[in-house]
This record gives sequence, C-alpha cells and structure tokens, in this order.
Amino acid sequence: MNYFRIWLAGARYSLVRTLMFRGDFFVWSLVELLWMTVNLLLIAVIYRHTASVAGWNEYEMVLLVGTGMIVQRLVTGFFWSNLFELGRNVRTGAFDFYLSQPGNPLFMVSTRKLDPDGLVNSVVALGIVIYAVHRLGLHPSVLDAALYCGMIVAGVVIHYGILVLTMASTFWLTSSNGIEGTYFTLVDFSRLPREAFKGLAGVVFVWLLPVVVVSNAPARTLLHGFQPLWTLWIAGVAVLWLIIAVAVFNLGLRRYSSASS
Amino acid sequence: MTAVLSKYRQAFLVGLQSNLIYRWNFLARGLFSLLRLGVSVILWSAAYAGIARIGGFSLDQTLTYFITLILLQFFIGAFNEDYQISEDIRNGLINQFLTKPINYFLYRFSVFAAARMVSGALIVIPVALFLPILRGWLTFPHDAWRFACAIPALTMAALIQFTIAYCFGLLTFWLLEIQGFVILSMAVETVLGGQMFPLDLMPPAIYRASQFLPFFYQMYFPAAILTGRIAFPSVVQGLGIQLAWVVILLIVAEFLWRRGLRRHTAVGG
Repeated sequence: MNYFRIWLAGARYSLVRTLMFRGDFFVWSLVELLWMTVNLLLIAVIYRHTASVAGWNEYEMVLLVGTGMIVQRLVTGFFWSNLFELGRNVRTGAFDFYLSQPGNPLFMVSTRKLDPDGLVNSVVALGIVIYAVHRLGLHPSVLDAALYCGMIVAGVVIHYGILVLTMASTFWLTSSNGIEGTYFTLVDFSRLPREAFKGLAGVVFVWLLPVVVVSNAPARTLLHGFQPLWTLWIAGVAVLWLIIAVAVFNLGLRRYSSASS
Repeated sequence: MTAVLSKYRQAFLVGLQSNLIYRWNFLARGLFSLLRLGVSVILWSAAYAGIARIGGFSLDQTLTYFITLILLQFFIGAFNEDYQISEDIRNGLINQFLTKPINYFLYRFSVFAAARMVSGALIVIPVALFLPILRGWLTFPHDAWRFACAIPALTMAALIQFTIAYCFGLLTFWLLEIQGFVILSMAVETVLGGQMFPLDLMPPAIYRASQFLPFFYQMYFPAAILTGRIAFPSVVQGLGIQLAWVVILLIVAEFLWRRGLRRHTAVGG
C-alpha cells in the first residue's frame, strides 16, 4: 500500500512534467506512432506477395505484431526510461540516491518516472489488435479476453525481467554504452510467429530466451481460445525470469561500490 | 590548393583517431545488426515457404539485399553526425569555426568520412566471422556495369546521408532539442530508404513515387544496383535524380547555415 502511494506520487509528478513539455509529448507520441506504422507497412508489403507466413494470414499477423506492440509500449511507458537511467546512474554514482531511499532499491529504481507517450501508444496498439480481431471475425469470450489481458501482464513482466538483466550488467561492466541494444534486438524477435523458428533459432529464441512466448501466447488465445500449455508456459516463464532478474540485480547491488569522487 | 586539402586531411586524421576510441561501440553495433539480420532471415524464409520468387527475386537474392544493407550502413550511413553538430552549436564549439578559414561543412564531412572508414573496417570483422553462415545466401550479379555505376551511386548516397544529418543538426539554431525530429525522420528514412523491405516489393505506383524522394537514394538505390534489383535504364535515370538531390540538399544545407548563423549568438569567453 505504501509502495502504491510512492508510485502514485511519481506518476503524478511525471504527468505534471508532461503537461509542462506538451510539444515534447506530442513529438514523441508521433515518433512511436510512426514506428508502429512502419511495422504494419512491413506486414502489408509481405502479404502483397504471399497469403501466409508460417501458417499465419495477414490479419493474424497484425494481431500478433499488435500484441507485441502493446507489451512493448507498456514497458516503455512504465519502466524503460527508469531502467535506462539505471545504467547511467550506476556509472556516475548517482545511484547512491536510490539506495538512500527507505524502500526496495529495485522498486525505487523502476518506478520513478512514467512516460505518458508510451502509455498513449499502448492504447493505439490495443486499437490495432481490436481492428485485427474485427477483421478476422473473431468473437472472444469475456474469459478469453481476460486471459489475454493476464498474458499481456505476464509479457510485461518478462520484458521487465530482460530489461533489468540487461541494465544490471552495468554493475559488472564499466562501460555499458549501447547495452540497451540487447533488449531491443531480443524484442524484435518477439514479433515473429513461433512456427517460423526452425533449428538452432528455435532452440535459442523459443526455448532458451523468453521472447517468442511473449506475443505468441496471448495472440493464440484470441485466435484459438484458451490453450493450457501456452498459458502455463507464459506464466512459468514470467515467474522464472522475474526471479532471475531480481537475483541478478541483488547480486549486482552487492558489487556496487559507488563512483563518487 | 594543397594547403586547402591538407587542412581537411588533418581533420580527417583527427576524425580517424577520435573514432578509433569508439571501436568497441562500432563492433557491438555490428554484432547487433547481424543478430537483427536473424529477424529478417526468419521472417523472409517463412514468407518464401512454397514460393520460389517474390517480386521476381529469390529468397537468396532478398537476403543478400539485407546483408548488403548492413555493410552499406557501416560504410556510408550517417550515425550520430546530427547530434555531434547539434552539440557543437549548443556548447559554442562552432564559434571557433567562424573565426578560422575553415569550412564547417567540409570539416564535418572529413570527420564523417574518417568515421565511416573506421566503422566500415570494423563491420568487416563480424561479417567475416559469420561468413560461413552468410555465404549460403550470398548471390551477387556479375555485370561489370553494376560495379561501375555503384561507385558514383555510393558516393552520392553518402553525401545525401551526411547532408540530411547535417541539416537536422543545424536545426539546433532554432530548436533546443532535435532528438525527437531526428528519430521521427529516422522512421521515414528506414521505410523509404528500403531498410524494412526492398522498395521494389511495394505497389508499383508507390515505388514510382518513392524514386523521386531523396531517401530512395540514400540506401536502397546503391544496394539495388549491387544486388541486381534494378535494371540499367532505371540506374541511369536514378543517377540523374540522385545528383539532383545532392545539389538540392547542399543548397538547403548552405541556406540553413547562413540563416542559422544570423540567429546564432556566441556567448561566453
């Protein structure tokens, strides 16, 4: 409860800030909107020439990519800039500030700021998914829709885990410039259907790294209804990767020895 | 003449040294680019399942196109030149160029050329490392005219890339922050430059229209020449339009520079 109040204060501060820099908010919302359009254009171009990719038709693919976008926009909105700054703060020693706060360091680090433009665009991404559902003539039950939302949350948790792991590497590496590229590269793979991964790529991206399950599990639930195996899989992966991320973060914390003069 | 050249040669050499500092960054970026190539490989392999040709090209030809793009990105692409110029203006470093007999555009272009030499040399390492995997897909046409035309196309593509970045950097004279605009234009350039998909796969009318935009010539055009996606008559016509864009962009850059300087106030001592 106490943590929720802290989060609320941070959120309120971020909103006020956004209202102060309205032009910025507008430009950045446009940027994200444009990038989403870019991905939809890719789908449009590919499906001009083929009817199915790995067994997915055009609007099924839009549904999949849209689902991936919802997860990514939510992560951008809630966590991205906080964790991106973690890398910089560890290097400069500004991280001390978070340690001196009376709260769980990982919580304090992750929730200081909100990016309203990411949140606005997650609504746009949701619109894309709803449009795809409509075009496919799907009528998901309330339960399936609820399950879909639950899986989106699990997806956000998984992305959060990957992001924490990526940025926590700054505790060991002195220079982490460009390390966030790891996260974005991994996220790129999560827009692809599971069936497209073959051989070694399948082992790495489907089984070892939790990128494919993030968008495929919820998209499948909307398309084919409740699937126990996929539900268990995404829930299990979310729990596992969150545990790993928290453990690694805490290990890093023990190594941290400030960097001030 | 030689004095003028040696001035920019020095700038080039300094650029070489300062970019060598970032060798690990370039190398890491190269590795990420190759990893991301994995997304294209998986996606297009799935799209080609059961189809021999898409838009008249085989899977290998399409993958060769994407591999070529990575190489071109590191050899002629603009990376963060816009930010460097923006920083020069913001923290007043630009003032020293106003009092010296050196052209800022040419100075920056020399540094850009040096930077691409470093990043170009460094992308060769990961590509060579992955060559055993990549080799299976690589299929280049052997027409001699393609190489002859690729040289001016690549040179002008580099000029277009740099000049666009230069113009965005100069916007700092009017705006406090250019980051939003840079990323906005990056999205446009990514699509219309052909980095998301080969432009020839778009509907013919849109493809025609894209040929009149500068973005077409900053990546897709040289890559299409080298990978055989564009025929000789279109290449000749393309080189003409490309040259026109180089001239137009250089004029815009000069115009922005003059107008910007009028607004610019040098503060501090």
